[in-house]
Amino acid sequence: MTLVSTPSTTAPAGTSAPVRKHRGSHRRPRVLIAVTGLFFALLYLPIAVVALFSFNSQKSLTVFDGFSLRWYRAFVHDDVLIASLGTSLRISLVAMAGSVLLGVALAVGLVRCRTRFGSLAGLIMLVPLITPEIVTGVASMLLFKGLGVPLSTGTVMLAEITFSISYVTVILRSRVAALNPEVEEAAMDLGATRWQAVRLVTLPALLPAVLASAVLIFALVFDDFVLAYFTTGVDPQPLSVRIYSAIRFGVQPTINAVGTLMLAGSIALIALALFIPRLFGRRGGLDILSGE
Amino acid sequence: MALLRPSSRTRRRDTSGNRMWLWFMLPGTLWMTGFLIASLVLVAVLAVGTTDELGNPRFGFDLAGVRALADPAYTEVLARSLGYALLTCVICLLIAYPVAYTIALYGGRYKHALIAAIVVPFFANYLVRMYGWSVVLSDDGPVLRALRAVGLADSGTKILNSGFGVVAGLVYGFVVFMIIPLYAALERLDVSLIEAGRDLYGGPVRTFFFVTLPATRQGAAAGLVLVFLPAMGDFVSAQLMGGPDQIMIGNLIQDKFFQGQNWPLGSALTMLLMLVLLIGMLGYLRRTRKDEAEALR
Amino acid sequence: MSPEVPPPTRRALLRAGAGSLLAAAAGGCGFMPAKKPDADRLAPVDARVDGDLVYFNWADFVDPSVFKGFEKEYGVKVIQSNFDSMEGMVAKLNAGNRYDIIFPTAKWAQRLVRGGRLRRIDHSRLAHSQAIFGTYDYFADPWYDPGSAHTVPFTAYKTGIGWRRDKIGELTGSWRDLWNDRAKGKVFLLDDRDEVLGMGALSLGLDVSTGDTRDLDRITSLLGTLRPRLRGFSSDSYNNLLNGNALIQQAWSGDMAAMLYQAEDPSVFGFQAPKEGTPINSDCYAIPWNAPHPGTATLFIDYMLRPENVKKNIEYIGYPMPVAGSEKTYASLVEPFPECLVTPDDLKADVSFRNGDRAAEDARDTAWTHVKAG
Repeated sequence: MTLVSTPSTTAPAGTSAPVRKHRGSHRRPRVLIAVTGLFFALLYLPIAVVALFSFNSQKSLTVFDGFSLRWYRAFVHDDVLIASLGTSLRISLVAMAGSVLLGVALAVGLVRCRTRFGSLAGLIMLVPLITPEIVTGVASMLLFKGLGVPLSTGTVMLAEITFSISYVTVILRSRVAALNPEVEEAAMDLGATRWQAVRLVTLPALLPAVLASAVLIFALVFDDFVLAYFTTGVDPQPLSVRIYSAIRFGVQPTINAVGTLMLAGSIALIALALFIPRLFGRRGGLDILSGE
Repeated sequence: MALLRPSSRTRRRDTSGNRMWLWFMLPGTLWMTGFLIASLVLVAVLAVGTTDELGNPRFGFDLAGVRALADPAYTEVLARSLGYALLTCVICLLIAYPVAYTIALYGGRYKHALIAAIVVPFFANYLVRMYGWSVVLSDDGPVLRALRAVGLADSGTKILNSGFGVVAGLVYGFVVFMIIPLYAALERLDVSLIEAGRDLYGGPVRTFFFVTLPATRQGAAAGLVLVFLPAMGDFVSAQLMGGPDQIMIGNLIQDKFFQGQNWPLGSALTMLLMLVLLIGMLGYLRRTRKDEAEALR
Repeated sequence: MSPEVPPPTRRALLRAGAGSLLAAAAGGCGFMPAKKPDADRLAPVDARVDGDLVYFNWADFVDPSVFKGFEKEYGVKVIQSNFDSMEGMVAKLNAGNRYDIIFPTAKWAQRLVRGGRLRRIDHSRLAHSQAIFGTYDYFADPWYDPGSAHTVPFTAYKTGIGWRRDKIGELTGSWRDLWNDRAKGKVFLLDDRDEVLGMGALSLGLDVSTGDTRDLDRITSLLGTLRPRLRGFSSDSYNNLLNGNALIQQAWSGDMAAMLYQAEDPSVFGFQAPKEGTPINSDCYAIPWNAPHPGTATLFIDYMLRPENVKKNIEYIGYPMPVAGSEKTYASLVEPFPECLVTPDDLKADVSFRNGDRAAEDARDTAWTHVKAG
């Protein structure tokens, strides 16, 4: 089989973490760093193009004519776009809250529950992942129509939550599985009920992963246009749907401005997420990815 | 993580807690079943239905939609989509491993900032990013200009509206999903294992294949799934960056449900695609169950 | 602890299956054929404010300042949604969304009228409707809506060929120009079934909306010869020509006019309406049967027909409107491309896209799949 079984982060007793870092860093591989550098360049090139042309004084996407803030001004005066932005934010927040709540419960239950119902639930939970979004979109629209539920921002939220629960559960499942159930048992030995044990031990341990999945869901839902397109009603449509309706006929520079603003906003948010834990003496917030 | 074995006392206590876990799972599962499965069942049933004059789907029993699937054009497009999706997975792996490896093992204190720098573009709207990518890849864009400058391309070469364009679009859109799980797995890796492997195998390449790769296979598997599935159903990439010979199954489904208002055919195509994806997922499912059980041992 | 998670029992599966089928059955109720609304429910209303305007149209198809003016003058809000295709529009209507005003193209207006899905509009209650119906006889009793009882024309447009004069010189004024050797590999067709099949039909001298399988086979073969030279199907003619991805593109006349505003040097572009025939299409204002505020919708139509608003919109979107008095504005707009003009003579019915029966539409759909997928 393999040389190593389940990888472990704990160093063997007696060694300390800084030694690990030293061993790696004295051999800096040029090729790897070059590849990584090239990757970052290509990753950001389209972003740079979008940002650059959002300041273009003309409508063109190929020729930069001069610096101008006209598209940002147009966006600020465009009530419709702003209403769309508001709708998108609302949908993303609600979907994030709903799917995280249901997803955390589902993930914890799935891993802990050893009955057959548990494995069935596990299978069902994976269905959204194999379903192409256009299908969930059409299917959701058909379901709402069939039930006689009028489409609205609310139906978008319902549909988005359904799709997002899978993501949350998938991310959290391995994290929950990695948790040591012995700690819960120990808490119960000390007199806590099972529910208290979960609330005071398991959930706090899951918090970083929960936060990570919350942020991920927010981004995914905010960006999503396929599912949203099929389930919007006559309320102001989400921003992504607005962009999608226009993209077959060309992107307007105002959209470039919106994209750049969204990017700037998310940079600010992530910078905050990185720095705030540091202010409290903890390490940066991305440790959740490494499961620490 | 402690390596204590669960005692028999623990085993008995665990089964009694099942009821609470059931209550935990109930809301999520009910929601999913009721909403998701029901809507998919509807689509499946409509695959044998009809469409009325105004484009409404209607129940019925008409196999015309299913029979139309026999048209070789559909199998060709499906095969092409599979090819693109698999190629995208491979390219994403080839890119993600070096990048994640470099950041995880050589990033030092910039590790978190670097990963954040990868995730941040993800927050700009997907469509806007893809449109920007298509501008970057256009005939007079920076990429082709650079390639021409080093002689790797001539004035007639084009990336857009070709298979290269579509795959480039797919990779750009989904590579993040490969990097994050790989990074998580690599971060958890004990570097001393790599050192030991180097001593054992002599070269960095062999160490990679015999030590690093197997140790991070769970992360790679998760990444593969997260890239393959959406890539199969994608239609934006082919629409923005593909030519007529690069139509993917996602575009056909979109066409059928919309331009053709052909609900039976659209639904039938959907069922076909999902069948293909399900078969692909079975392997992953078995693996996760095994790994999860292993982790709990 | 058991090492393996036990697979779901048959009973659990049955229960889940039954549950979902029940939900699906409940969901399926909405697909029983619906009744057609009674004729008296579709009676025309006066043009007066009865709520906000729920507007559903292509994106960026009306000058934003027109909306602002409407909102200010009548104290209402305009709630906008956009569709990206006719089928998308109808899908949303069928899903039960209640819009006040929609903008179907001619053939879709006919379908909606036949299905009893549009409210009637009384032109005598619109102060400015004479500008259209008094001058353009075609629209007084068009093929898609007898007596124009349910619609008011919005724009009219042609489909032709746009190209880069500076790169490939002059063309011959025929659809065969798309096969031009100098443009090989940089040709685009519109991503629209009717337009592409229509172009093929006109090149072969066939009916532009033919649903005959033999005709469609000939069209598919013809387009098959174009395929190796084709770069893609795209409705973004504007950007394709501007950034040089396309040297020749099947294009709507309105998009060419819109380009004139943006191009530094319009003379590098050309637009022609091929001699074999150019499809003429029009779209119109329409009020769905379930519109919550038909009065405001009627008022909005009248507002849009005011000469100053017609002028603003024409200049914003580049498409001509069949409104008397606006012809000069449009002519000066498209001076470099006179073939963009849509005259009353052009509005001959036989070059419009018509509805066929179910078999014809299916045949066209299959042909389109073959054209697109190869």
